Amino acid sequence: MRILLVEDDSLIGDGLKIGLEKLGFSVDWFDNGLDGKEALYQAPYAAVVLDLGLPGEDGLEILSHWRQDSRKEPVLILTARGDVDQRIIGLNTGADDYLAKPFALKEVQARLNALIRRSSGSGTPQIVYKNITFNPQTRSVMQNGENVVLSPKEIALLELLLLNKNKVLSKETIENKIYSWSEEVQSNAVEVHIHHLRKKLGKDIVKTINKIGYILGEE
Amino acid sequence: MKKFSLKLRLMIFFILIAAATWGVAAVVSLQECREEIDEFFDSYQLMLGRQLASADWSKTTAQTQKKTDNLIDEVEESDADDDAIAFAVFHKNGQMIFNDNEEGKNFSSPSFDKIGRFSKEKIDDEEWRVLWLSSIDKNYVIAVGQELDYRYDVALETVETLLFPWFCGLIILLIATIIMVAKEFRPLKKISSDLQNRNSDDLSPLDYSTAPAEVRPLLEALNRLLEKVAAMLQKERSFISDSAHELRSPLTALKIQLEVLRLSQEDPKAQDAAISKLEQGVERSIRLIEQLLALSKTEQTSAMSEDYLGNIDWKNILSTLKEEYLDKLSNKNLVVESEITGSPIQNGNPVLAAMMLRNLFDNAIKYSPQDSKIKVQIDDKKLEVINSQTEVEEKTLQRLGERFFRPAGQKETGSGLGLAIVKKIAELHHCQLVLKNTEDGFSVQIIKQD
Repeated sequence: MRILLVEDDSLIGDGLKIGLEKLGFSVDWFDNGLDGKEALYQAPYAAVVLDLGLPGEDGLEILSHWRQDSRKEPVLILTARGDVDQRIIGLNTGADDYLAKPFALKEVQARLNALIRRSSGSGTPQIVYKNITFNPQTRSVMQNGENVVLSPKEIALLELLLLNKNKVLSKETIENKIYSWSEEVQSNAVEVHIHHLRKKLGKDIVKTINKIGYILGEE
Repeated sequence: MKKFSLKLRLMIFFILIAAATWGVAAVVSLQECREEIDEFFDSYQLMLGRQLASADWSKTTAQTQKKTDNLIDEVEESDADDDAIAFAVFHKNGQMIFNDNEEGKNFSSPSFDKIGRFSKEKIDDEEWRVLWLSSIDKNYVIAVGQELDYRYDVALETVETLLFPWFCGLIILLIATIIMVAKEFRPLKKISSDLQNRNSDDLSPLDYSTAPAEVRPLLEALNRLLEKVAAMLQKERSFISDSAHELRSPLTALKIQLEVLRLSQEDPKAQDAAISKLEQGVERSIRLIEQLLALSKTEQTSAMSEDYLGNIDWKNILSTLKEEYLDKLSNKNLVVESEITGSPIQNGNPVLAAMMLRNLFDNAIKYSPQDSKIKVQIDDKKLEVINSQTEVEEKTLQRLGERFFRPAGQKETGSGLGLAIVKKIAELHHCQLVLKNTEDGFSVQIIKQD
């Protein structure tokens, strides 16, 4: 899942980007408010991690700008101050959840997973499709009760398909949703991942809709 | 005496004064009274003596004594005041021929040299005042005497009678005073018990509306002190909470980088990167804590006590700094120009002064662009550090020097405390921190105030 991270602190920003990528997210990191605000319009993000104390433009102003523009991406705000008022203002401005510093990487991951799950309309933490079970937090895939080893990008692709059960996803959409700006994408990367998924989980896992894209289901 | 309460001391003082006054009055009255009574009884003795002396004693026999005794016995209340006066009549040969049938019987025969005056006699082991008179025919000697103790008793009784109401008045006055003093002290007592029962964080002012006017200045002063303590406490608290907030960011960074390190177990490159980030985070935390400590040092009231003051050797401080920052200076290829002709601080704390210049120098190096110049100028009026080719936005300029303020878009890590520390140290040394953009670059000035 592609995440937009707006955080000015270089050590926290770097840690979150690398850490979340290790946990299966694709992360675009911006260290100032102006770039961060614009970034949301440039790519399809599954969720946003937004620090409130930002140089350039304040986190709350950015958030309210997005919400006035009818952007519905789930936003997790990071507050330096533990004080309740700021969290309340944040939530009232349109944030979906908050974390007060100091927080743990795993907690960011858990909250992002919860936000993404809810925004895709799913209620249960584990996504079940036919005989396949996917756990977003542990990034593990089970088929008929047995663990299936997939690469992080294959998992990201599977997650994307599982979260968009009835939608046809174009190759371009998939690229944009599972790769960040900093990653180089081979022109046939998506085809390769689809091929691997079919090989590991069975041919019926993904259906190709000619010249449009891919959808979960039998061919 | 000082360890007793004011109330008790007042009481004791009042009792002592009253008792002393009363005692002096009693002694003086007794003296006066005795003189009066002496005079009175003397004239009474003289009168009786005159009558006895004018009587014809030639026909007096033993029968006369008996008959008069009987006459007296018949008088009702005849035994009243039997000590008042006694008398005896002697024949000039020394024989007693008549007496009052009381103490007069014990009078000894007269010595003729005493005739015509009062004398002190010892009768029955008691002191008597006796008037000796010769009868008109010179054949008899009349003695009229009175016991001195009797006179004293009368005087004492008179004084006692006089002083009793006075004594009662004294007691009433004393009780009234005790009640009044207790009542007057009640508001003070209430204030002190209020103070005692207070929570340690309750620094609201005391209500002294009911306190006596004399103690109001004290209570007002106490309220002012409470106010000052409250302000100081507030400052301390906000400092601690600000510090805690500031520590959150480096701690978050450390925590996240640690997790990244753990996630990178099979990726040595990522591990190395995480470790170096961890080191940066630790360095940043150390720097922040050092700056917090430095700031709290400047807040100590003892910072400017005589013991720490002395001359400030700016040249030495600057050369030490240049040595310390040698690597950073050469990395950025910075040139330091210095011109030291005096000092705006005459008698200051050298440790704090060094801390001040160090912060300015550190900032100058951090925020100077590559290949630029840092100018340090110190004379008797001001200390100035200029970063050439640097300009600070007007909006930012106004807020620099606030605690924990960091301008937007800051790439350099810092605590946001450096200039706050500089400002505080400058103020301690009666100097003012002035920041401005000049033709030569961004200038930080510490200007001596008159």
